[in-house]
Amino acid sequence: MRYLARRFAFYLITAWAALTLNFLIPRLMPGDPAQALLSRFRGRLDPRATEALTAMFGLNNESMWSQYRTYLADLGKGDFGLSFTFFPTPVGTVIMDSLWWTIVLVGIATVVSFVVGTLLGIVAGWKRGSRWDQLLPITTFFSSIPYFWFGLIVLFVLSGELRLFPLSGGYSSWLSVDFSWAFLSSAFKHAILPGLTIVIASIAGWLIPMRNMMVTTMSDDYVVLAEAKGLAPRRVMLNYAARNAILPSVATFTMSLGFVVGGAVLTEIVFGYPGIGNNLYQAVINEDFPLMQGIFLIITFVVLLANFLADLVYVWLDPRTRVEA
Amino acid sequence: MSAEAIADAVPTAQPGPKASTRSRFAGLRSAKTMTGLVMFGVFVLAGAFGPLVWRKDPSALSNDILQPPSGAHWFGTTQTGQDILAQVLVGTRVSLLVGVTAAVLATVLSLLVGLTAGYVGGLTDELFSALANVFLVIPALPLVVVLAGYLPTRGSLTVAVVISLTGWSWGARILRAQTLSIRRRDFVEAARATGERPIRIILFEILPNEFAIVASSFLFTIVFAILTQAGLAFLGLSDVTTWSWGGILYWAQNNQALQSGAWWWFVPPGLCIAVIGMALALINFGIDEFVNPRLRVQKLGPKRARRMPMAKSRPLPASRRTDVVLEVTDLHVNYGEGPDAVKAVDGVDLVLRRGEVLGIAGESGSGKSTLAYAITRLLRPPGEVVSGSIHYWPRGEEPVDVLRMSADELRAFRWAELAIVFQSAMNSLNPVLTLRVQMADALTAHRPGTTSQQRDARVVEVMTMVGLPADRADAYPHELSGGMRQRALIAMALVLEPDVLVLDEPTTALDVVVQRQILNQIMALREQLGFAVVFITHDLSLLIEVADRIAIMYAGRVIETGSASELYRSPQHPYSDGLLRSFPHLHGPRKVLTGIPGTPPDLRIIAPGCPFQPRCGQAIAACTTTMPLLLATTEGHQVACLLTQPRSSDDDEL
Ligand code: SF4
Repeated sequence: MRYLARRFAFYLITAWAALTLNFLIPRLMPGDPAQALLSRFRGRLDPRATEALTAMFGLNNESMWSQYRTYLADLGKGDFGLSFTFFPTPVGTVIMDSLWWTIVLVGIATVVSFVVGTLLGIVAGWKRGSRWDQLLPITTFFSSIPYFWFGLIVLFVLSGELRLFPLSGGYSSWLSVDFSWAFLSSAFKHAILPGLTIVIASIAGWLIPMRNMMVTTMSDDYVVLAEAKGLAPRRVMLNYAARNAILPSVATFTMSLGFVVGGAVLTEIVFGYPGIGNNLYQAVINEDFPLMQGIFLIITFVVLLANFLADLVYVWLDPRTRVEA
Repeated sequence: MSAEAIADAVPTAQPGPKASTRSRFAGLRSAKTMTGLVMFGVFVLAGAFGPLVWRKDPSALSNDILQPPSGAHWFGTTQTGQDILAQVLVGTRVSLLVGVTAAVLATVLSLLVGLTAGYVGGLTDELFSALANVFLVIPALPLVVVLAGYLPTRGSLTVAVVISLTGWSWGARILRAQTLSIRRRDFVEAARATGERPIRIILFEILPNEFAIVASSFLFTIVFAILTQAGLAFLGLSDVTTWSWGGILYWAQNNQALQSGAWWWFVPPGLCIAVIGMALALINFGIDEFVNPRLRVQKLGPKRARRMPMAKSRPLPASRRTDVVLEVTDLHVNYGEGPDAVKAVDGVDLVLRRGEVLGIAGESGSGKSTLAYAITRLLRPPGEVVSGSIHYWPRGEEPVDVLRMSADELRAFRWAELAIVFQSAMNSLNPVLTLRVQMADALTAHRPGTTSQQRDARVVEVMTMVGLPADRADAYPHELSGGMRQRALIAMALVLEPDVLVLDEPTTALDVVVQRQILNQIMALREQLGFAVVFITHDLSLLIEVADRIAIMYAGRVIETGSASELYRSPQHPYSDGLLRSFPHLHGPRKVLTGIPGTPPDLRIIAPGCPFQPRCGQAIAACTTTMPLLLATTEGHQVACLLTQPRSSDDDEL
């Protein structure tokens, strides 16, 4: 699988680039943010935290290179440092507690949005020039709405005024996190609004490219030939036009996912969802640099993983990538 | 409709500058684009002049606390009595400035990276592409949030710079691809060959061709930047003492605006963001249509297999001879409507008898491919059959008019009675399905009762017939050679044993030896299976060899038709004559229909008289005024030339 091997190598490089970026940002930022933070918190911070921070941001006069080696070695051991918002909980633990919430919420919302958006795009492309074209401006409008603004309005109307959904959080606070029916149904209820916000705001990102690709593909010879063969329109639409038109959508999954993740971070904050986006917000507000950096890395790694999954789907969909060369 | 067929119908030779500009910019002048531009313009004006006209200080406190919209405060007031309209107007200015600044920076970055990578190629390309791809994959907002988290000051300009650092990679990627493809075009190669400096080539040859893409990614980045800035401000991560749309939302949210019922505080900034995002997206739709003309055509639904209206039905053609299988009568096909319509096929009559090979020859632009699409009812808008009939005679039954079949009748007729082989085998095969699936689905559609074993057996049978090894059935098109693909298409066409096979330049893409083998194979199969062939090509000498009868097309009309031997021996139309005389002899080197000086006619220019007149060496005075009709000279031989027709006495020879 040369194609997959190449992609995998690329993700390794990207992961390394993200690690290095993460290392360099605090060190190259103007104004020496870590030093500023230390002086601001002087005396109020646990000495161990001060020490950890000093080491982490290279304020102990070690050379850049040896700092970099220590940094990589620590990460290799899964050591992201200590969060000082939740001191002395390690960053890794804080992240792990919230990561699953995000993966489930954003994962399901993305899949739903992709499936619905792509299906609508197929139909809109197939029936172009019909009333289905109205979908374009409507969904574009929703996709231009800031996630957080839309989320807040939805929250205010449906939860605040109509009391249909819970106001915030990921589950009712009196429940314990387990696989009981009570917990799962509560978690589901809490996830509906943030999930819906993500779906509505991101659907145009799948629908419009799919529709345009359908329109383009429909003029291709093999679609014309399929029609000449007297196949049922549904088969021409799905097996010939859509089956090929979907390929670019899967190939550019990367970019679309980037937007969804960005929007999801804001959505979580608005809905007080116990996910990683909310953690990031807490970290930034409290200038909890270790947590902030850890979250950035984890989000990047999860996105890389999702992209690799998209590549697997691509290989499955397009036999041309399976050429052994 | 394939691009070739459109090109065939609408010749591109010296298009009038007016016509071409009009159609080129059609996408940009659509209602969508206009709406977008107007909406965007309103925001720009509001940002530029709004604060000068509505002279309230957005930060000034007053005693009008949380007032709903009124005459004094059009958008109401905040909890501290600030005027919200004033804030929104200043916010428009700030948000647009951040958006445009970030977009300019990001575009400059993406141009630098994309153009260099695409133009220089090699290792530079690898590195730059990797860099762009890495930035594309790293999620932008978390990166911006982290960057902003470290920033000591978070003024609007700093935020714009940070956003541009994360937003350039998509544009760079597209520009690289585009540059790569433009670099290989003739005019760039020519400039390189003359030793022009690379910077000049990039600026004057390449960049102008990328304008639409740059514009599109620029607008896209503006939206991205405005949304990101709003998100940052809302989180309190950018300077919220400068009024931006996000900043207003930050204050509204922190003062529980919605919860206290002050929707007028919370709604306007978000709506502004949504509307400007939509405006720019609408402009981008226009740019998309400009870049990709296929998106431009309106009203192109699956209804395209439009049936001729019943009222136009004509009486059956006179010829009722039982050996006729297909008869085209007075067929007219236009591209476009109204006075701009191009008459691609203009009154063509053809008769195809059972088992015979009818050759149709013509240059590109002669309407021959359009004719093939019309016969199979595969024309797509703007192409449309305006009038005429295409009768098909099922064995021993009454004829049916293909143009008046219902959708179901048409589906049943296609492939079972009439199959077609297109010019490009690569493009005609679905790249993601195996040959077996693509052949079997025709069987499934037309013979629903068959089992999959029966279908497999038939697939293997037709593949063997055309000389393809049966084990290639599970191959994908890209795994086959060009010749094998063409054979596969022929096998596919034969799978339902049709009465008529339309071949649209079936072998032009292949080398001569393979061409010859495949043609021999088709002719052998015809002997064996007895189907009739409509063979469309620009290669007249080939037709002389294989066809029984030949029709030569020029400017959408048949200008001469007769048996192949008759046409070879005594061509009567100056065009046919010219063509044939440019061939040394029958088995000599093959010549295509370009042996005649001049270019094919521009069908948009409607002139009276003979369409061939500008290129005709034997033209007489009447040729500029009188359109010659296709009239019989001898039995079975018809010519459309005034020289072979009785003319009025006042004509003079030139
Ligand atoms: S009609 Fe006149 S111009 Fe046309 S082909 Fe005959 S001689 Fe030439």
